[in-house]
Amino acid sequence: MRWWRKRSELDAEIEAHIRMAVAERVARGEDEAAVRLEVEREMGNVALVKDVAREAWGWVWLERLLQDLRYALRQLRKSPAFAVTVIATLALGIAAPAAMFTVVDRVMLRPLPYKDADRLVYINDASKRNEHDGRSRAPYLDLQEWRKWNRSFESIGFYTQANGRNFLEGKIATEGVGFYKVSANLFPVLRVAPALGRDFRSDPDSFAKNADEKSLVISDAAWRSMFGGDPGILGQSVKINGEPYIVVGVMPRGFSFPFDPENPEVWTLVQLADADKGRTDETPEYTVLGRLKYGVREAQAEAELMTLQKQIAVGYADTETRQERSGVWLGSYSGSLVEKDAKRALGMLLAASGILWLIACVNVTNLLLARAMVRQREVAVRGALGAGRWRIMQQFMAEGLLLSGCGAVIGLGLALVAVKLFAGGIKHHLPFPVAIVPDWRMIAALLSLTVVSALISSIWPAWMSAHAPIEPALKQGGWQTGAARRQNRMRSALVIVEIALSLTLLVGCGLLLRTIYALRHVPLGFRTDHIIVANLQIPGYKFAGRNMTNNLYLPLLERAKHLPGVQAAGLMSEVPLGTTFNVALTLKGDNTGSRGATKDVSAKLNAASPELQKIFGFKMLAGRFFNEQDTASSEPVIIVNRAFAKAFAPNQSDLNKVIGMELWHITPNKNAHIIGVLDDMRQMTVADPSQPEVEVSVPQITPESGVYKFLEGIAMDLALRTDRDPKEVIPELREVLRQADPALAGSNFTTMDQVVEDSFGSQRLAAHLLEIFGGSALLLCVAGLYGLLAYVVSQRTRELGVRLALGAQRGDLLWLVMRQASVMLVSGVVIGLGLAIASGRVVRSYLYGVSARDGWTLGLVAVTLLVVGLLAAYLPARRAAGVDPMEALRAE
Amino acid sequence: MAKEIYKNRIELLQGTLDMLILQTLQWGPQHGYGISQAIRVSSGEVLQVETGSLYPALHRLERQKWVESDWRVTESNQRAKYYSITAAGKEQLAENRDRWEQMVAAIGGVLGTEPS
Repeated sequence: MRWWRKRSELDAEIEAHIRMAVAERVARGEDEAAVRLEVEREMGNVALVKDVAREAWGWVWLERLLQDLRYALRQLRKSPAFAVTVIATLALGIAAPAAMFTVVDRVMLRPLPYKDADRLVYINDASKRNEHDGRSRAPYLDLQEWRKWNRSFESIGFYTQANGRNFLEGKIATEGVGFYKVSANLFPVLRVAPALGRDFRSDPDSFAKNADEKSLVISDAAWRSMFGGDPGILGQSVKINGEPYIVVGVMPRGFSFPFDPENPEVWTLVQLADADKGRTDETPEYTVLGRLKYGVREAQAEAELMTLQKQIAVGYADTETRQERSGVWLGSYSGSLVEKDAKRALGMLLAASGILWLIACVNVTNLLLARAMVRQREVAVRGALGAGRWRIMQQFMAEGLLLSGCGAVIGLGLALVAVKLFAGGIKHHLPFPVAIVPDWRMIAALLSLTVVSALISSIWPAWMSAHAPIEPALKQGGWQTGAARRQNRMRSALVIVEIALSLTLLVGCGLLLRTIYALRHVPLGFRTDHIIVANLQIPGYKFAGRNMTNNLYLPLLERAKHLPGVQAAGLMSEVPLGTTFNVALTLKGDNTGSRGATKDVSAKLNAASPELQKIFGFKMLAGRFFNEQDTASSEPVIIVNRAFAKAFAPNQSDLNKVIGMELWHITPNKNAHIIGVLDDMRQMTVADPSQPEVEVSVPQITPESGVYKFLEGIAMDLALRTDRDPKEVIPELREVLRQADPALAGSNFTTMDQVVEDSFGSQRLAAHLLEIFGGSALLLCVAGLYGLLAYVVSQRTRELGVRLALGAQRGDLLWLVMRQASVMLVSGVVIGLGLAIASGRVVRSYLYGVSARDGWTLGLVAVTLLVVGLLAAYLPARRAAGVDPMEALRAE
Repeated sequence: MAKEIYKNRIELLQGTLDMLILQTLQWGPQHGYGISQAIRVSSGEVLQVETGSLYPALHRLERQKWVESDWRVTESNQRAKYYSITAAGKEQLAENRDRWEQMVAAIGGVLGTEPS
């Protein structure tokens, strides 16, 4: 370093000066030793000369900073407990929000892999009063009008998902893919072009046969996993579900639409047909995606389209349909990717981690304050020796910088590990793979915030002590000054704040734990133990024209039943609490009121096989479950659940009456009769009550029946009851599936217990994280309380000694400290309870089976905090009581 | 405080000391000790330049690029840092000199009118 060389040069220069001066006088005949002393006296303070000379270089600040850092390091090494506490506290305080930030950033703030993704919105038909009950999409004619007349959008594209499960036969492997039929301008709307090859020809959509009809664009993931990233893929013919397509383009890496980066996707052009020329119930609908013009707000665009749609809706002949379609609603594309529930959970967790950060900062301030008090005398001595105030503050700042720097680095490391650990847990609830690398801008903001806060909390006490009069501090060690008492009050206030914040966090944690407990104890209405579930990856296209029931499902069931250790095997479109598939059925109300419900009944439709009852232990309210006699040749039968019966039964007081009623035809010309009523069970989520449900028997579903396409080609779960370890059975089951069809081997396997556990969703994740946050907060606030009391006791040792000498009992001293602790604890708890009750609104929507102001939780948390706090106070209190009066007084 | 006092003294002498140093270096490169001796001798032993002022002044002049330095060996075989005046330094010296002469004339004028 140049600076070091310059420094030694200066030393050499001064040394040469002295030598020359001495040499000259010696040459004049004076005594060397005497001359040397004399010259040095003339020179004055050599170190100061050098200092001043160096100041001329303008480098001193750096030199001083290094000096200060070295000094700070020495100081910290002398009190390792203090250093470790501060660093650990800061690390914890930084790690929690940094980790949360990373996740939230990914999920809520991160731009999607499309340009200006915030301007992408879904456009959907809605009813007149803009009620949509989650209904989305619009028919072609409507969206074509929007395209023609709107002024809010740059462009509008649309797409629809191909029915059922789709398999792409690649060069290397055949895999299930997401298969979408898109409008020619969809990729331009997204502002993304293929990385390889070309986009679809941008002819305007029309009913004429499109030249690109059989062109296929594939995702980078599909290209790599199924074609080995072969650039020669362009122009090649590939098969989807056995149908040939020509690959014309490969999308860039990371591109995914609709956003689902976990799965390979392929796109082809949508081919409009005659059906698209109408406006009826049967008209195909598309998901419409528009790009807003720059500066146009969503609400503006929605208002414009609302007005347009009122006129467009006149084109609907049927009055009811017209009613349902005379409005429009917009939904932001990026907002649609994460469930509201998960978003709320993340927001709440972020707030919780922020509170933890605040607690950590308060704690560090407190620790640094205590340290400044202890060092008041040192500061006074240095001031007396001529150190400037600014210089002393610099010194403290260096120490703060060192501590917060260490804390920050360790905290970041912790955050990285935490994100890595949670990534697995989070994955289930979020569409995004959470990357391990955090966003550096976020982290930088957080870091600087922390460093600044640590600096402020280290400068402030330094400023205080630097401005305190030197004399009294030197005289009596500064212990009994008014400033000290003021600082103590200040520190007590900080501890109270800490306790209050911790209590708020702990209450949140407690409420969520109660929620999880309540969820776990909801009667599900079925058994979950010893059940293995396979979510079948059905290659429906291979069975076109054949009866899947006879050719695939029944033989498969037979083989699965005969696996060793399997007691029963059954099929169901979707096991309870599963999340992969859902078919809804609307039964039109009969206005005559003679046969059933007078209003429309919307019900979940499920296919089920007879042995399911043995597996899940469904309870029948009335009638029977399917049995082996319900086959394709026998009378069609249907089972409904209690919720359905309630909505449908002509007589509410006797639900059994629905048995024997005819519902609708599964098979043409053969009406199905209701033969049983299932007791209610949890279907979609544990927290929601039952919805009406209708079940049909798997063997009775034939290609002729209307529901065959929906129920057999797309989704089917295979459930096994077995006492054996799932880890052993699953490979055997996979082998059975592989023999039935190679594609089936790609099915997902899980256990029913796991399905239930997963369905707790974000509550479980939130509870786990809050446990950690709450625990850390408790630890920090207890450490803060203990630190303050221990400091106060050591400060008052002499006073305590005097009290003892004057006849105070040791119990009195114990009580003295405990009283101080109790005051802080009680005020902290009271404030905290207030905060918790006030913030109840935030968590309320999140709870199940427990109120946000649940007395038990609040009480229990308050008592826990008090007890732990008193325990922490007891240690210093006992030390206070154990003071030896003789020693305390002699220390004077 | 000790340091403040030093600083004050430097400031008091600053203008003139810089000028004296630059003037001395007019005659050729010289080391710090040589400069102080030269000023002492040419002032007729009146002006004693203190080391505490000399070296900071030299480093300041160097930073302003009015002098430059290199290490040489003296006649008595000592390694020493020699300072020499730069072109900018010479300009600065001429300027200082003008101002000094004006100042002397002005102060002389004021002192001359004073009744003694």
